[in-house]
Amino acid sequence: MTFLEKQTNPLDPVHYRGNLQVDNLYTSGAAGDRFFKHLMENDTFLASECKECGTVFFPPRLYCEDCFVEIPEENWFEVPAAGTVRLFTRAKLNTYGEKLEEPKIIALIDIEDTDGAHLGVIKSDEPDKDFMGKKVEAVLRPKKDREGTIKDILYFQVL
Amino acid sequence: MNDVAVLGGGMTLFRRRLKETGKELSFQAAKMALEEAGIDNSDIDMVVMGSAPCAFDGIHMKGENLLDGAGAKDKPYVRVFNGGGTGVFAPIAGWWHVASGVADMVMVVCEEKMGGCYPHPQTAFQTIWDPILDRPLTPNLVWLFAMEMNRYMTKHNIKKEDIARVAVKNKKNAVGHPCAQLPDEKITVDDVLNSEMMAWPVNRLDISPPSDGASALIFCNEKKARQFTDDPVLVDGVGWNIASSMWTNRDLYFPQYVANAARMAYKMAGIRNPRKEIDFAEPYDPFTYKELHHMEGLLLCDKGEAPILTREGVTERDGDMPICPSGGLLGVGNPIAATMGQKICELYWQLAGKAGKRQIPGDPQVGVGQAWGDIMQMGTVMVLRR
Repeated sequence: MTFLEKQTNPLDPVHYRGNLQVDNLYTSGAAGDRFFKHLMENDTFLASECKECGTVFFPPRLYCEDCFVEIPEENWFEVPAAGTVRLFTRAKLNTYGEKLEEPKIIALIDIEDTDGAHLGVIKSDEPDKDFMGKKVEAVLRPKKDREGTIKDILYFQVL
Repeated sequence: MNDVAVLGGGMTLFRRRLKETGKELSFQAAKMALEEAGIDNSDIDMVVMGSAPCAFDGIHMKGENLLDGAGAKDKPYVRVFNGGGTGVFAPIAGWWHVASGVADMVMVVCEEKMGGCYPHPQTAFQTIWDPILDRPLTPNLVWLFAMEMNRYMTKHNIKKEDIARVAVKNKKNAVGHPCAQLPDEKITVDDVLNSEMMAWPVNRLDISPPSDGASALIFCNEKKARQFTDDPVLVDGVGWNIASSMWTNRDLYFPQYVANAARMAYKMAGIRNPRKEIDFAEPYDPFTYKELHHMEGLLLCDKGEAPILTREGVTERDGDMPICPSGGLLGVGNPIAATMGQKICELYWQLAGKAGKRQIPGDPQVGVGQAWGDIMQMGTVMVLRR
């Protein structure tokens, strides 16, 4: 029975090499389209508010997942591109298990004037300090270089 | 088992590429179904999502991604998926939630976003094959279905022009459908025969287009449904069946697995003579010949008879046995799972007299819908009755 044979070299059994090749062009969606087009022209974020329950969504959404109603465009407004660190980690290894040259500070940031949060990167001259509860602001790409993606937010810095 | 009624349906535009995300499409379809049913999302006990390969949307475990758009936040929720069979299997799953008594009111949402899958959604199918025996030869589904079509034509001595009539009928039927992607009032049999040859005998117009879209349907315990309507449309029977992936070892001229699923559904519905007792049908028509193949699999005619009935006009909307009055996948589009909109929502709309320009004359009472998928393996069937 082969089940009891120990395999140490994956190339030993007869095999065929292949991959799962699928490329995707992801649409930002009706809400995402409006959010990113605003961000290309402005240094603020957009948020949307459900008038039924008062939840302010960031990123802004087309509908409230709780009340299951559409949020019309008149319930969208600008909020500062800034917030407060709710959670953070200091990553030493990347996805492939390789050591990063510098630790990467990944944070969950509650965006000001909203009920939403954003997964962002913090850059700091003092990477070893405690970022919990710190006020941070977004550092955006220069307007001429913005592409309408989340990468237009370069990183967050402590105020 | 509880009797199960259909309360409402919804369907977005079907287009090659839509701006909306999968969540946003799901929301639109769900909202329409809730409005048609006259209920609120808080009335829904549980939600079923139907969506085909994750590779189309490019989001692994996309059921979890889509759920808030389907109104499923903080509710019992499950995604079901069996390839092209999903569009009818998802409503079957919705039915059993209510029939079993675990829920009184269930919403089924089906979503597919194929437009973003590059270079073509067909790419996602490259890895459904056996990786050792088939994949090194780089087959695709068009090549495979061309061989099945060839076998069907050869076995029954069918002319290509009689198969091409299916595209003409369905694209014309789709003219009355507000969601339709490829309606065509002026299309002719010659247009189909003269369209690009993709893999003999399959021409381009024999195939339905890839699409983005979503559909939704609400199932309700029959006793509770009486609060909303005196004349409910009921789920009368369901069936599903699958052959093995060793398609090489089957005679492809007849989809036995569809017949097995149909017999299961008809037995539940007490239907002994489907040709007489069923008023109209929505067989799965991703390719022209598949509508004919599936009419035979659904036991609506003899083997090899479907092209003759089509030629004689029996399957037209005003014929004796209307087939794909929605316009089908060939006319309305083929966002795989979301074709629940043509296959089951359409049965509901026809039976409830809500099909508008597509309404079948003569007050239909019983309809059957069917989907098909995987490597010519899966048959899923649902019978609705008013």
